[in-house]
Order: sequence, then structure tokens, then C-alpha cells
Amino acid sequence: MKTASQLEYGERVIIDSIDEKHPSSRRIIEIGFTPGQEIQLVNKSIFNDPLAFSVRGTVIAIRKNEAECIKVS
Amino acid sequence: MIPNILDKTALITLVGSPNSGKTTLFNYLSGSNVKTSNYPGATVEYSVSRLLGKYNINANLLDSPGIVSLNPNSPDEKVTVSSLFNHPRFGVPDLIVVTADSSQLTRHLFLVKQLIACRFNVVLALTMQDILLKKGFKVSIEKLSEELNCDVVSIDGRNGNGVDKLIRVINKNLKEILLRDKVIPLPYEKESDRQELIKTYTEIELISDNVIEPAPQNGRKLNLKKANEQLHILNPDPEIKKNCYEVDQRTLKIDKILLHKIWGLVVFFLIMAVTFTSIFWLAQPIMDLVSNIFGFLADEALVILGNNWFGDFISSGLITGIGSVMVFVPQIMILFLILGLLEDTGYLARGAMLIDRPLSKIGLNGKSFVPMISGFACAIPAMMAARTIPNKRERLLTIFIIPLLSCSARLPIFALLLAFLFPGPKAWIGGLVMAGIYILSIFNSVVIAAIINKFAKNILKETDNSSFILELPAYRAPKIRVVTNNMISSARAYLRKAGPVILVLSIAIWFLTSFPNYKPPVNMHNHSQQENLQLENSERLANSYAADMGKFIEPVMRPIGMDWRVGVSLIAAFTAREVFVSSLALIFKVTDQSETLQASMVKAMNDATIGNTGQKLFTPSTIIGLIAFFLFAMQCLSTVAVSRKETGSWRIPVLQLIFFSSLAYIITFITVNGLRALGMA
Repeated sequence: MKTASQLEYGERVIIDSIDEKHPSSRRIIEIGFTPGQEIQLVNKSIFNDPLAFSVRGTVIAIRKNEAECIKVS
Repeated sequence: MIPNILDKTALITLVGSPNSGKTTLFNYLSGSNVKTSNYPGATVEYSVSRLLGKYNINANLLDSPGIVSLNPNSPDEKVTVSSLFNHPRFGVPDLIVVTADSSQLTRHLFLVKQLIACRFNVVLALTMQDILLKKGFKVSIEKLSEELNCDVVSIDGRNGNGVDKLIRVINKNLKEILLRDKVIPLPYEKESDRQELIKTYTEIELISDNVIEPAPQNGRKLNLKKANEQLHILNPDPEIKKNCYEVDQRTLKIDKILLHKIWGLVVFFLIMAVTFTSIFWLAQPIMDLVSNIFGFLADEALVILGNNWFGDFISSGLITGIGSVMVFVPQIMILFLILGLLEDTGYLARGAMLIDRPLSKIGLNGKSFVPMISGFACAIPAMMAARTIPNKRERLLTIFIIPLLSCSARLPIFALLLAFLFPGPKAWIGGLVMAGIYILSIFNSVVIAAIINKFAKNILKETDNSSFILELPAYRAPKIRVVTNNMISSARAYLRKAGPVILVLSIAIWFLTSFPNYKPPVNMHNHSQQENLQLENSERLANSYAADMGKFIEPVMRPIGMDWRVGVSLIAAFTAREVFVSSLALIFKVTDQSETLQASMVKAMNDATIGNTGQKLFTPSTIIGLIAFFLFAMQCLSTVAVSRKETGSWRIPVLQLIFFSSLAYIITFITVNGLRALGMA
């Protein structure tokens, strides 16, 4: 399944699930990335990492490897 | 029972997610000097304020670093969470005032739900309704209060509207709470189930759907598009309702430039360049003014009290000592003014994001960015700012390299040494070299971080998961009051922490360089009064305790081309770098008051010779050697103490001390002897 780290610039998707095995998954959920939420990739830093997503009314920057635990449909 | 209630001081703790308007609210409630944090996690220390004076409530109000949830992710969050369950000094809060941003209600209600689930007494302060209103929505206070079963007050951070209402609600709640038994919060499950967390969010979404209502905007600018939108809003269309969680479009547009692969970097380096140049060029005239004022006071004291040991103590020991503390205040204030502006507008989080990838290559984190910049002012606040880094290995590495960044205490030393190298008309070269020294200090810290990181397993003994999760808050105009308060409190913190140390040391050095022979026998014949005074001064020093100490370490100083007098200054500077200049001034008995202190010091340094050999003590090679020494040496006792406190053991500070001191000595040795081998004087 596609993960948030593979999104194109500006792409909007719905979160399908969060990989609970990832060490950052707890914080990723707490900060608002939950199944069913719409997220959009709004920015990439230099070297395409970290990535900035809009979620629940704000923009959150997370590392690419952390975005990998967000499965999207 | 009732009489006790009146005597008791209640404890109110202010809690909130980062960027939820928490510290702005604290500023309104307390009127005290604390900063709001637009950069998540900037409040690293507690601020406590009494509400008694302003609002006649007998309560302490405690501000705390922002948290996302009751599961702490970094040391600063841990501080907040453990303080809620049992603050070491104040105990469990009687009432928690929690702030939540209406425009990202679901995210911020997460913490509120957790607090209520733990049975804390909660009042919710809802901020930034104005932003939501611009999108055509509002939060129904009554409904939200009903859903959460706690009081809710809407606060306008721009003008403080609603604060009075909040005070009345706090008062009402406290009266009820204090009649009941003390709160015993339920412990929060440390590693709570991921599915539980998702469930909490699902519950919150239901609440959000119930309490967010369409709100017609002020009719003036109602255009056709908006009118259409509002027609839609009146229909209970869930798709439309999602609009209330749209991100600020202006922020996204600005970020297109500020996070751009080329322009983002250009702006980043431009901002850094402006920051550093302002530290030097803006601060310099004010620093000169401060140093002239204290020079004048020292002279006056000597005139009034007479040239005896007491007058000398007040003038050279006390006033000069206070002056050497005060002279850094302008620079620290300017740095924190700029940092505060960058933080309050929201740029610092972008800077951290831009630099995360390069920094992670050398074992640091984007969140090391703010501590590292603060390191250019002073290592003490810088090490404390490192608390926002969740990963322990990255945090320890950040703390480890902070002393390498050229702090403001080194500025007067470099200024003096460069004034010696580039006198008079060549002073502008000195300015350029100064900038080079700063760039070099960044380079050093990066290289050493990379080296330490290679051996991190042995040195830092921490290998856990590295993470960078940071909110990029919406850009906004900085609040001048917040920024200036931040600046003033940083200056205060510096004076409180570093001030006494430097002052005591200056006095100690005065004592060590003046005794035991305060009145040495001098051949008074055939000399003018001025010459007699000079002779007496240098005789006094040559027979002082400091000279004994200096001569003891002379064998160590010789290989790097220096003598016991520089040795004494370096020993003195070991406690705090800035003492180096004042102790050199004392040791060389710079008494010529007709010129500025620096000019007469350069003159005295030019005249200084090693022993009776006639060989010059200060040559370009030894001066460059000294610059190299101060680039690396960890010459600051306060830094050692803070490093101990922040890392939780003596291992890191002792390692820093040994590593940086030997590195400084070796590099100075190579520099001085290398330059001499190349033919430099």
C-alpha cells in the first residue's frame, strides 16, 4: 500500500491506517494523523526530507521515514 | 473547614499544546516577563505568578512547556507532565486551565480529553476564534462546555477580551474545588494502546461536529462566492464543514518561498547573516558605552576614595567586575530580540525543518538548530533549549558541541586580540577576520559533532530512535510586547546565572593580583609620581599570589609561547572566559586612562616582554595561538555546571572539559609553533 512518504507535491489523500510497529507511531497518532483523516503534502524541505503535511487545520513537518508509517489510500 | 480555605494558596497550572496561545494567555493573566512560544517547546522553564495582586485570587499560576499529550516525548514535555501529577514544590494543581486553538480544535482537544479522563479539574480557554470566524465558522461555547462537562471561555489573544470572564470562571471553580477533597489524578497509562488513541480522536471528531457551527461573517465584504458558500453551509453538508480545518492559505504561499529549495536556503543564510552581523555591529556601540560608563565610575571611585587598598578594591575589583558582567547585556538582548522575532513570526520552526536533513547526517537534529543559535549568545540558555530534542543521543550531542560555538563572552577577547593584530587603519580587516572566526566556530562544531557521532556509542552511550516531528505554525505578525518581554527575561536570566560568578571571580582576581604585598617597597627617587605608581603596581603584581600560581604553571605555558602572566589570565578565565580581558588588564596594570581601555591594553601588550630577555611576549603567532585556544577551550564553570544538570551526570561535562581543554592546548601548540616555523614572529 502507498505511504504518505510517496505523495506528490500537493496531493490530497485519506489516511488508511498507521503502522503501529514504527517507533514514532504513537506521536504520529497523537499529533493528529489518524485513519480517515484527509492530509495533503504541502511542502518538502531541501533533499526532499522532512515533509510537511496539512492535517487537522495545521501543518506538521515529519521525516520521510516517519511518513512511511502512514498508509494512505 | 471554611476558614482554612481562605488561607490556602490554590495552585492553577496553565497547560496547552504548542502554539495554542498558552503563553500569551499567561502574559495577560500575570503581566510578567515570559515568552509565548510559536516555536513548539520554547518554554523550557517554569514561570510562576501570583494572581493575588492583580485579580485578588489567592492562587499561584504556573506556566509550563507546551505538550501534545500526557505521554511525554521529550525532556521538556516530561517536566510538564510530571509536574501535573505531582509538582515537587506545589503538588497537584487544584485547577488546570488548558488552552486550545479553535482553528485546530480536534488536535488540541486531544490533551483536554486526556486531562479530563485523569479527573483533573479543568477549565478550557478557547483561543483564536477570530481565525475560525474568517473561515465562516464558530465554536459554540455552550455546546462544547456541555460535551466536555467543564467550563469553557473564549479568549482573544490580540486584545485580551475574555480574560476577565476567565478570571470569574476560575474564581467560581476554585471556590467549589477548595470545598472538595484534594484532587488525586488517575495515573495516565504510559504506553497507551495506539487503538485507544485513535478512539479518543474519533470521540473528539463527534464533539467537533456538534460544536462547530456556521457563523455569518460581518456583512461588509460579503461577495457572491462567499454568499454561495454560506448557503451551502446552511445545509448540513459534511464536505463543507471540513473547510473549518483548512490550513491558512497565506502561510502555505509564504512557505512556497521560505521552504523553496533555492530561495529557502538563500533566505535562511540571509537571516543568519543579518542575525550575526547585528550581534556585532548593533551591539558594539552600546557595549562601548557601557564599558565607558563603568570605566568612568571606576576612575571617579579612585579619586573619591583615594589611592589606597580600599579605593583600589572598589574601583578595580568591584566596579570593574560589575562592568565586565554588564558589558554583555546589550549583545544578549539583541540576540534574543532577533530570536524572539523569528520565533514569534513562526520562522524558527521552518529553519529547524530546513536544516534537519544536513544536521541529521552528523547525528544532530533539526531541533538542535535553536540551541545552536542560542549558543552564540551564551551556552547556558542554549543547553537548556536542547530539552526540546526528544532523542537523548541527539540531545547529548547537541549539548556536547554547544561550547564550541563562539559565545558572546569570547567576543571581547577576540576583539582585543584582533585589535592587536590589526591596529588603527587596518581595523576593518579585524572585522572580517572576526566574521571568519564565527564561521570557523560553526565549522568546528560540525566537524567535532560528526567525529563524536562516529564514536557515539562509546561517548554518548545512547542509541534510540531519531525523530523529527514539528508543527509549522501559521505565520503571524510578532507581538512586540511578547518579544520585548522575552528579551528582558533573557537578560535577567543571564545576570542571575552568570553575573554573580563573574563578579565574585573578578574580585578574587583583584585580591590574588594585589596581595600579599599591597605596598611593595619601591625606590622612590628620581621618578615622577606617575612612574612611581606604575613601578609600585608592577612590583605588587610580581610578588602576588597570582604570580606564584602563574609561575607554577609556567612550564605548561612555555611550549605555546606564553609566560606566567598569560597563564594566570587563562586560569582566571577558566572560571569564565570574559575574565581573561579584565585579568590581563589587571596583570599588565593598565592605568593609562587617557585612551580607551582597549587602546591602552594593546599598547601595554606591545610593550610586554618575556622575563628580562627583551623578547616580545605578544607576537602575531602567540596572538593567533590565543585565538585558537579560545575557539576550543571550555573556559566556563557555569557551562560545566549546566551541562552536569542537563545531562544528569558528570560524565558529559568531564568529557567535555578534558576533550576541549586538551584539544585547545594541542591546537594552540601546533598553531604557534607552526607559524613560527613558517617564519612569523
